[in-house]
This record gives sequence, structure tokens and C-alpha cells, in this order.
Amino acid sequence: MLEPVFLAQQVLNGLSFGALLFLLASGLTLVFGLMRIINLAHGAFYMLGGYIGVVVAGLTGNLLVAVIAAIVAVGATALIVEVGLLRFVRGQELPEVLLTVGVSFVIADLCLAIFGGDPRTLPLSAMITGSLQIGNLTYPLYRIFVMVVAVVIGVALALVQNRTRVGAVVRAGVDDREIISAMGVNIRWVFTGMFIVGAALAAIGGTIGAGMMSIRPGIQDEVLLYALVVVIIGGLGSVPGAAVGSVLIGLIDAFAKAWIPDLAYFTIFAPMALVLVLRPTGLFGKAA
Amino acid sequence: MATKFVETRTIRTIGAPRSTRTRLITIVVLVVLLGFAVALPYLGTTSYAMSLVTTIFIAAILASSVNFLVGDGGMASLGHAGIAAASGYGAAWATRQGMDAWGQVTIALSITIVVSLVYGVLSMRTSGIYFLMVTLAVGMVIFGLAYRLSFVTGGENGITGIQRPPFLAEYWMFYWFILGIFVLTTLLLWVIARSPFGASLRGLRDSESRMRSLGYSVASYKLGAFMISGTIAGLAGLLSVWHTHFISPSAAGVHRSVLLIVMVILGGVGTTFGPLVGAAVVVLVENVLSNAVERWPTILGLIFILVILFARAGIVGSTQKLIRRIRRRRSGTPPGDTDLHQETAIPDGELTARKELP
Repeated sequence: MLEPVFLAQQVLNGLSFGALLFLLASGLTLVFGLMRIINLAHGAFYMLGGYIGVVVAGLTGNLLVAVIAAIVAVGATALIVEVGLLRFVRGQELPEVLLTVGVSFVIADLCLAIFGGDPRTLPLSAMITGSLQIGNLTYPLYRIFVMVVAVVIGVALALVQNRTRVGAVVRAGVDDREIISAMGVNIRWVFTGMFIVGAALAAIGGTIGAGMMSIRPGIQDEVLLYALVVVIIGGLGSVPGAAVGSVLIGLIDAFAKAWIPDLAYFTIFAPMALVLVLRPTGLFGKAA
Repeated sequence: MATKFVETRTIRTIGAPRSTRTRLITIVVLVVLLGFAVALPYLGTTSYAMSLVTTIFIAAILASSVNFLVGDGGMASLGHAGIAAASGYGAAWATRQGMDAWGQVTIALSITIVVSLVYGVLSMRTSGIYFLMVTLAVGMVIFGLAYRLSFVTGGENGITGIQRPPFLAEYWMFYWFILGIFVLTTLLLWVIARSPFGASLRGLRDSESRMRSLGYSVASYKLGAFMISGTIAGLAGLLSVWHTHFISPSAAGVHRSVLLIVMVILGGVGTTFGPLVGAAVVVLVENVLSNAVERWPTILGLIFILVILFARAGIVGSTQKLIRRIRRRRSGTPPGDTDLHQETAIPDGELTARKELP
């Protein structure tokens, strides 16, 4: 239970799962930060991205093409959802959330109709195979790759948000919608763009995540809940919070599954409850 | 977090006087409907149909507990299926220990109260989206426990063979019993909504900060409301396992909680009979339409989206609006008409556009 190799393995498991969670949670939290919408269809976007990624990877044998195909398909879906539905209920909290619930129902059911009920994983031809060997520890390279992707995307998000004009517009939109629109920025299209970026992150997570856990009916609720827990712990709207929350939940989940599998589900919610009671806005969140 | 929840019309209808004729018609219609419901087993209804109607009433009890929280408290819970399931598991566990019906009821209700307290304490300091997520997450804890603690809950297979008390063994007896409970809970919630407590709750819904500055303890009102709602949800959970003799983790799943919100919105938030209508639509789509159409979750999702976009007041709320409009047109809108007064007391736009003061 406490051998160094075992511990190292669990730490790596936790970090790689945390990396996947970050891809999911960063999209959720970015969309919330700007638009004040909790997108409960985020899990369904992940699912759709995963299925499309798996199918395209099977056809082409190329992971990059699969990811791009998933981003395009999910991004187009998100565009339709945002422009066709969410705009009509802008600013009304509950209708916005509930619309995304309806969207999630429809997407998940159509996925079941199109892709069937069998669990799907990335074909080996599109995956990075092989494993890393350090002393007694062997670890699949693919999971290391997932961590690298998450770090790259996290750094890219931080750079775009803090160093570019687009990022400045987004930050201004988070702080004061009225002023930024008075200054001549069409905030509606900024919202649409952000919603698509959030969905694209879910699609990347879905495709890459399909190499770690299978895409199957019901996965949309499962990943959505992990993502929600992460953003509640990290603080809604905060990307650094999402990063910290993902690593925390990833590690807790890995060790709980190894040590107390009977309570594996409970252990990720206990820290969340603790954070909510002690600091309702999350570790990095600002008061609403 | 200042923007409005689903548009509700209770503020207007409560204080304003209604014409005695409207009230009389309402009472007559309700008595006729109730008489029909009581007579249903005699009308040659098959036992399958009776079972379906029983399911609808149980779902309606559960949905009305959610409706009370959303409509009067402005708190949208996505975890109520968890409370109902906890209560159901309590009854199931008691059966397995060989307890009689009273044992089942005692265990189920104690678990309900403890679980509601946990939900309430964790969520009482939050509102809006945060409330929604906290209840969602606590509901998932219950789902997780039901799934993993297999020595108590039977894991994925659940628990079967739960027996209801002998005097309810026949399906029509059980139906009348459920009907009675439905009428009682609806009355109870109706009375609570019109009590000073209900009025304070609506005050919270409309502006938490104003209520706080008036000296109300916001958290304790929210906790109180949650306890009332949770107890009714637990009752529905017990009735549900008595009906199906079975419980499994999916009873606590997010999907069930989401369906409850769907029922409430479909029927009409804050209306007395909205939950019943919403429950009927959802249960029928789930049980009858699913035999004919394979893609029923898509249809349910589309109905839900359309209702949110075009009929925010839900089926019952929209019908009430329509009736009011027709009647006004027929009577030629006499000045000082009470219904007109009710309609204009709070304009539609203001409800959705008004922001909470800091």
C-alpha cells in the first residue's frame, strides 16, 4: 500500500486524470466566468467530441485529425445552441441552465442512436503506445502525453487571456458587460465565441480522454459531475482555480480508488462539501 | 447573481381578491376531478393503467416538493431524487431486517430528515446557480453511496421484494391511499405557501438582501423550506418503493432529479396543479411513448426546450393566462375588474428585467 513504486504510480494516475479534468473544467469555468451560465450540456459536448474523435481516428489513424474533426463538429453544435437557443433567454439564470439540460438530453440520445450503446475507445493505431520505464516503475506514455497536452493548453489559455487583445476584451466582459459594450465591442459575439471555445475544450477532452476511459452512454453525466466538483472547489470562473481543483480531485480520486474503493465516489464530494461550508465561493472564486 | 429565476405569478395572485364566481367554478371543477379520480378503479380501468396513474401521482408528490422550493423559495434543486431514494433505501433496508410496515416508515422518515438536514445545511448559504450545483452534488453523493455500499444497498442490483403494509396490498387500495396522500400534501403546501412563512419565503426569492436588511435570518428560512420540501420528497420515495417493490441506484441519479425539474417547468412553476400535469406528461412519455418511439429522450428534451423558450409559465400557467385573456375579451374589460388588476400589478418585463439592489 505504501511502496514507492505504487505511490508513484498513483500520483501519475492522479495527475493524468487531473489533466483530463482540467481540459473539461477549464471550458466550463471560462464560459461561466464570462456568460454566467453553467453549461450542463458540457458533458454531452465531451461525449459528442469523444465519439467523433474515436470514429475519425479509426478512419484516419491520426489523433490530430481526430481532435480537429471533433472540435469542428462540437464547435458547430455549440454555435447552433448559442445563437439558436441561448440568446433568447440571455440574462435569465434558470432558463439558461435548463435549456442546456434539454440540449444535453437531445445530444446524448442522438449519440446513442448514431454510435450505439457499446463503449468506444481510441483505436491503438491513433494512440501513442509504449511506456515509460524508470527503475521499477513502468507507466503508459499516453497518459504522460495527456498531461503534456493539458499543460500546453493551460499555458496557452493563460497567455491568450493575459497578453492578447482578445483576452483583454474577455476580461473586460467578465468585469463589466455594459461598459465594454458601450466601448464598441459586440459582446454578444464575444459570448458566442467563448461558448464555442468552451465546447471545443470539451471536444479535445473527449477525444483525448477516449484513450483513458471509454466513451459510453451515461459518460456525459459522469464527466459533468467531476467537472462541476472541480469548478466548485476551484471557484467558478477561475482558470487557475480549475487547474488546482483538477489536480486535487485527480489525486484524491486516484488514491481513494486504490485504498478505499468502497467510498471512491464519496471521497471527491467530501472535499467539495468542506470547501462549500468554509468558503462558498471556492478557493480562487470572487464573490458573485 | 441578481437576475431573475423563472417567471412566477404567485405574488400577484395571492393578495389580490378573486371574484366569488371564479372561486366557485374552481371549487366545482376540483370536486368533479377529484370525484373522477376516486371513481377511476370502477370505470373499467385495467390494472396496468391504474399502476400508471399511481406512478403519476407519486411523481406528482415528488415534483410538488420541488415546485414548492422553486416556486416559493426560488431555489432550484437538482438533487431531490437523492432524498427520495435515500428514504426508499431506508424502507428497503428495514424490510430486509424483517421489520413491519411501521418499522419501514420510521426508518425511512428518520433517514429522510437526516438527509434533508445535510442538504439543507450545505445549501442554505447559497442561492441561484450555486444552490443548484450543491444539491446536484449532494444528490450524486447519495447515488455514489447507493452504488458502492453494496452490503447495505445491494449495489448495482438494488434491493427487491419490498412489501407494503397488508391493508394496502391490493392495487386499488394502494391507489386510493396515494390519491389521499397527494391531496393532503397539495393542501399542506397550499396552506404553507399562504402562511406568513410562505410570504417571507417569496420575499427571499425576490430579494435576499432586502429581507436580510429587514432582519430576517435568510439561512434559517431556507433551511426550513428545505426541510419541508425534503420531508415530502422522502414520503414520495417511500411510496415509490411500496409501489414498485424495488429500488436501485438509478433512482438517485441526476437523470431522475432533472426529470423532476422538467415536470415542474412543464406543468408551470409555482402553480398548485402544475406538478401533477407535468408528472403526467413525463410519466406518459417515459412509459407509453417509449413503446412506440425509440428516441423518446430526444422528444422529451425537445418538449422541454420548447416550453422554456415559448411557454415559460408551463402548461397550467399558460392555460390560466389564456382563460384570463378570453374572459377579459368577452366581458369587454370593465374598469376595476379584479382579474385585470391582477394582470397589471406586476408587468411581465419587470419580473425578468429587474435587478436586485446591492
